[in-house]
Amino acid sequence: MIAYKSQRVAYPYFVVALCLFGLQVILGLWLATNYAFTLPQWLVNVFPFATARAFHTNLLVLWMLLGFMGGTYFMVPEESQSELYSPRLAYIQLILLVGTGVAALIGFLFGWTQGKPLLEIPVQLDFLVVIGALIFLFNVGMTLIRAKKWTMIQGTLLGGLVFLALLYLFGIPFYRNLSIDWYYWWWVIHLWVEGAWELVTGAIMAWILIKITGVNRKVVEKWLYVEIGLFLFTGITGTGHHYYWIGAPRYWLWFGGIFSALEPLPIAFMVWDTFRHIKEGKGEIKNKVVWTLAVGSVIYHFVGAGIWGFIHTLPQINYYTHGSQVTVSHGHLAFFGAYALLNITVFYYAFPQLKGFANFRQSLGKLGFWITSSAMFLIGLAFGVAGVLQAYLERVLGLGFMTAQAQMQFWFKIVIFFGFIFFAGVVIWIYDLLRLKPVSDSSSS
Amino acid sequence: MSEKSAKIIFYGGTLISAILFLYLTFDTHRQVGVLTHADKLSEDVVAGKRVFQKYNCNDCHTILGFGGYYAPDLTKVYQRRGPDYIRNIVTQPEVVLEKSFRKMPQQHVSPEEINHLVAFFQWVGEINNQNWPPQDAKAGRKAGVNRLLSSANMSAGAALFKENGCFACHKLQGVGGDIGPDLDDVGSRLSQSQIEQQIVNPNKLNPGSVMPPFPNLSEQDLKALAEFLSKQKGGAE
Repeated sequence: MIAYKSQRVAYPYFVVALCLFGLQVILGLWLATNYAFTLPQWLVNVFPFATARAFHTNLLVLWMLLGFMGGTYFMVPEESQSELYSPRLAYIQLILLVGTGVAALIGFLFGWTQGKPLLEIPVQLDFLVVIGALIFLFNVGMTLIRAKKWTMIQGTLLGGLVFLALLYLFGIPFYRNLSIDWYYWWWVIHLWVEGAWELVTGAIMAWILIKITGVNRKVVEKWLYVEIGLFLFTGITGTGHHYYWIGAPRYWLWFGGIFSALEPLPIAFMVWDTFRHIKEGKGEIKNKVVWTLAVGSVIYHFVGAGIWGFIHTLPQINYYTHGSQVTVSHGHLAFFGAYALLNITVFYYAFPQLKGFANFRQSLGKLGFWITSSAMFLIGLAFGVAGVLQAYLERVLGLGFMTAQAQMQFWFKIVIFFGFIFFAGVVIWIYDLLRLKPVSDSSSS
Repeated sequence: MSEKSAKIIFYGGTLISAILFLYLTFDTHRQVGVLTHADKLSEDVVAGKRVFQKYNCNDCHTILGFGGYYAPDLTKVYQRRGPDYIRNIVTQPEVVLEKSFRKMPQQHVSPEEINHLVAFFQWVGEINNQNWPPQDAKAGRKAGVNRLLSSANMSAGAALFKENGCFACHKLQGVGGDIGPDLDDVGSRLSQSQIEQQIVNPNKLNPGSVMPPFPNLSEQDLKALAEFLSKQKGGAE
């Protein structure tokens, strides 16, 4: 059912990504337990919260990037109408990146870390990541050069991936000045999620929309230009909302505040765009799960990243909520909506084709969607309540950190409860995707 | 909209924002030395930053508000707690946080490394960052007010009562909140040691109490606060 044989390389990428997603959620449950209960000192000594958090966040980055890369390998042959330059390189790259990831996780257990949040991977392993990224870009680039067929969607995707790889370099050096360190840390983190990753998302979403709705490519591409233009316009200078309190000049309150207040615009545009394409689409959408996931993703993206982000990045509010559980709330809703759901959308689009059939039982995929998205919404709310409580007790009343945390513990128990429900949803997805079976046309509806 | 204007939005928007951002980055580099008083960025401070990274402190603690949210922000830890407290808690977290419901790992940080950490925190605490976090900006004002008040013979216990936000829930001499009981006559109801217990672990004396525990008060402060409260025996002071 796949048009090009080399699209197969995407499959192991997706499977590994899915399993790492499951592992990430387990670690998340453990982190919430750390918040809600008192752990014995010996356990804290051998497996502190810091290590578990490094696991949780690095697993997130690894599985999402593997998902993007697999998605790219799946998409590029169809877009360029040629086989991949080298499927073997793609497998080598996967083994290299997963090996590096495993080495990094084991290293964290023994305190081998660069000690920068989210970028804990030690320099030696960073080089392996860079090699993996170069192999990937080389492979995709050569495919396009050989095929001599450029499409706008491909360009956006490749542009996003090159941008992503370049930005990673800013996280590698040791900076003497902590303020400068954070300044460039955000070039990786912010410009990834509100720049490079948005390009990748925009491209993949546009491509899937063309595929499932059959709308005119020219129209989709035109609006994609507008969308990514707005993303980059607001996102690049919007980085400034991280520079309010780090010892950077005061004007960042203005630039960061104004540009990030505009950041919901491109996302709203994406929501509108998606609905319009679906309405204008020809014929009935067969793969309803993909439709549900795609629409769910853009709406979630708008709420979690757009609205939550908008509120949280106004300087007047951020002064009180910065570095509190409000950030955690925003992070979970935004990452889940924008990037986890996008990856799952791609998986549900590609898996049936990779397994060689068009129709499959769609109920479990949808069930997974409703369970995970409702649970994550409630998790986000619980974090949000804890965060507002924290901001009020700690920053407004001036009570001590632990005093505030004691009042927040209840909400972390809520997080654990919905966390288990979320996990159940993820298990349903993993089970369903790995065991996806064809059904005849008549029973699919 | 034509494809051409769509492209103009893309190239124009991206370029304008990128140029603006790069220019501001350039300007930030020009100013950051003064804002972070880089002249005081000694080798000890840099060594302290390396220690901070070596032990992955930042994945539990935030600093300048970034990092893990599991443990207190360390931006102003030097100004809040002073060097001795930092040395003590890093050396023996299992003792300092014995009664705390949240623990800190024993990482066997050497005394020399701790000295570097202290230098690092002292430097970080003086970064000019628009007075974040807010509670320290207030504490800064409060310290000034307290100094004034103490010259008018305000006892250490009274100052602690105010600083720890007790007024948010309790009334003293008609001032304060309604959540907890009035404390005007607390000295005739509870002994000094009972008051201490109540502050550290409200649920022990008073199961189901909504009062938050204050596990982070030093022993000395706790004593001063309890002593002050035990003198509140009703009527005007």
